[in-house]
Amino acid sequence: MTGYKGFTQEWMDAWKEKIAGSKEYKEIAKDWEGSVSITVNADPSKNVPEPVYMFTDYWHGDVRDFFICDAAKAQEAKFIMTGDYARWKQVAKKELDATKALMQGKLKLRGDLTYIVRNVKTINKVIDLLTEVNTIFPDEG
Amino acid sequence: MGYDQDLSFVYFGPTKIIFGSGSSTSEVESEMSALKCSRAIVVTDQGIIKAGLLDKITKSLGEKCVGVFSDVPQDSGMDVVDRAAAFAKEKGADIVISIGGGSVIDTAKCMCILLTEGGSLADFEGIQLLTRPQTPHIVIPTTAGTGSEVTWAAVIYDKSKGQKILIVESYNAPRVAILDPTLTAKLPPLLTASTGMDAFCHAVEAISSMQREPIADALGMHAIRLLNKYLPQCVKNGSDLTARGQVQLAATMAGWSFGNAMIGIVHAMAHSIGAVAHVPHGIANGILLPHCMEFNLPDAANYYAEIAQAMGVCEKGSTTKQAAEAAVKGVFDLTKKIGHPQKLSEFGVTEENIIKAADMSMSDGSIVNNPRYVADSGEVLEIYKKAL
Repeated sequence: MTGYKGFTQEWMDAWKEKIAGSKEYKEIAKDWEGSVSITVNADPSKNVPEPVYMFTDYWHGDVRDFFICDAAKAQEAKFIMTGDYARWKQVAKKELDATKALMQGKLKLRGDLTYIVRNVKTINKVIDLLTEVNTIFPDEG
Repeated sequence: MGYDQDLSFVYFGPTKIIFGSGSSTSEVESEMSALKCSRAIVVTDQGIIKAGLLDKITKSLGEKCVGVFSDVPQDSGMDVVDRAAAFAKEKGADIVISIGGGSVIDTAKCMCILLTEGGSLADFEGIQLLTRPQTPHIVIPTTAGTGSEVTWAAVIYDKSKGQKILIVESYNAPRVAILDPTLTAKLPPLLTASTGMDAFCHAVEAISSMQREPIADALGMHAIRLLNKYLPQCVKNGSDLTARGQVQLAATMAGWSFGNAMIGIVHAMAHSIGAVAHVPHGIANGILLPHCMEFNLPDAANYYAEIAQAMGVCEKGSTTKQAAEAAVKGVFDLTKKIGHPQKLSEFGVTEENIIKAADMSMSDGSIVNNPRYVADSGEVLEIYKKAL
């Protein structure tokens, strides 16, 4: 199986492909509208020297933009999720439930929380599909 | 209760509890001083003033009370928070003291953010965005059910969006909750019953939640013991301060329990039927709880069997399944005993309403923590039909 360097464009492309190819996702996310940016805080000790900003966009079961961006673009998203590298790695490895991580303050989210709560199955599915991507993490590669 | 080796959780419950009849007047000033605060803004509503609950507390604060904001409506909004925070700033407040129910407490929680961070509440819509402790907040609840005195979430109406927004911040948990049973003594029987069932529901759903954990379980289980014993006494005799106090403590324990372990299908359905047909939250929970427990039985029997023991309805030698069924019957019996409404139709709910609410329930976040997987809205609709 091909491995993808985590938090890179090629890794995002592989993740997008997984989402776009999931019939289950299409059904679960049929009501979802809008973008989510993900900020991975820098952690030089784990080979993440600079923050990584990712912009993802979803529309009624379809996946639209999915790219590495700058800080300004990340701020434009409907939902802005931020967290330390170690936390995102745990999420990507399915060692940490994203909703639990938010409740416990391990990740931060700016945006309409009621919308997230109503569509939590969509979030969980997107993360489930991420865990299917064979990832080479910066501190492991 | 059966936890596996993957058990991993964070329990958070930083609020100091002061309990006792008369504590709202005898302790508030010293608690304020212990927090090194000297200028309190009191937040309340007109109902509390009319009930005569405010004066004694503000008198006990003396000159340390620099102002009272009493314009908090039933479903408080961002505009109210903005006005209240501006008033508090103008008075130079360094602490917020809320006296009231959920709406007053949540308004005060949001004021604390604006007093510390400035700006507009809209800037803080989200979860865990804060990075430092907020303006201290002492809560003096006048109802027993929501558990808001120990949770770190606030629900506020956003007029511009026409919906309620949720602000979840562990840095904004109240510092102190003063539970004074005398303040709940005048609650009428129906409100006592429905707020009590709200607390009961918090405990049952937390204990059987997908995110259940031992500390939340212990708190939820004792809340059930206390509510089962003392809620009927409160309804029968509102001035029984022993019973009132135990119900207040139970509501607080249930607040910690669900604040950490989350809730399930009952709340998803109660939120939805509340939105569709305006059934009061506590009443919807009380009506729906035993029906949802019946639905959950195949996957929650272990937890419900423990609940049966806590309620004292588990017969010796019962199997787990029999004990779990006894818990469901026990909850039905409890609601009847306290004169709690039994059917949603008593509140004008129609067939059309429950179809819409069933669909809405599927997208409510609470449903994901339910012990039994809910496959589609048809399953939810069947529960609503039984409760209609």
